[in-house]
Amino acid sequence: TTISASTGSETDAGNTEEEQRLRSELRERFLRNLIAMTGKQVQFKLYEKVQVQAKFGASDIDILNFQVSDLQTPLGVQKEALLRCQDMISFSFDL
Amino acid sequence: MSEWCNMLPQEWYKYVNQEVKVTTRDKQQHEGWVFTVDPVSASVVLVTFLEKGGAFVMVVLGHAVRDVQILRGGDDEIASRLRSLFMPAGCQAFTS
Repeated sequence: TTISASTGSETDAGNTEEEQRLRSELRERFLRNLIAMTGKQVQFKLYEKVQVQAKFGASDIDILNFQVSDLQTPLGVQKEALLRCQDMISFSFDL
Repeated sequence: MSEWCNMLPQEWYKYVNQEVKVTTRDKQQHEGWVFTVDPVSASVVLVTFLEKGGAFVMVVLGHAVRDVQILRGGDDEIASRLRSLFMPAGCQAFTS
């Protein structure tokens, strides 16, 4: 995957190690959030005031696309779909 | 806040377990407790605890974040409530 490298200023080895530790903890938490979301009804807010709802399936590691099922759109229900994360502002669900 | 996506993990980490207000590029505001900030996409995971139990989770994509403002610091209880929402029970002893 493309984990972005730390930006320049951090040359100290100790700092880099600490940075990696925090990065991995933040990332683990985010992946746990995706796991919690699997199979749930999720509301997606897209740009241009479009709101759609679907059952979340999976994400690619770069958080570029989400695979969803039963996507409810203003034009009808799409059985299977990929949503581009760059089109989204936010998404939400109940836990 | 265009630099939100380019912040360092230690800067994002300061927001974890804090109550924040996120302003998005479409000028909406969302409040909640920060569970994490994804270091890959800079997305913020906000949690609101519901009175009837359970929680409402709102994730704002990193590229849509304009500003994040801390409203209130969280305590240990908030930290452990957030953790227990997402972490399997056996994991809790290993996360500080």
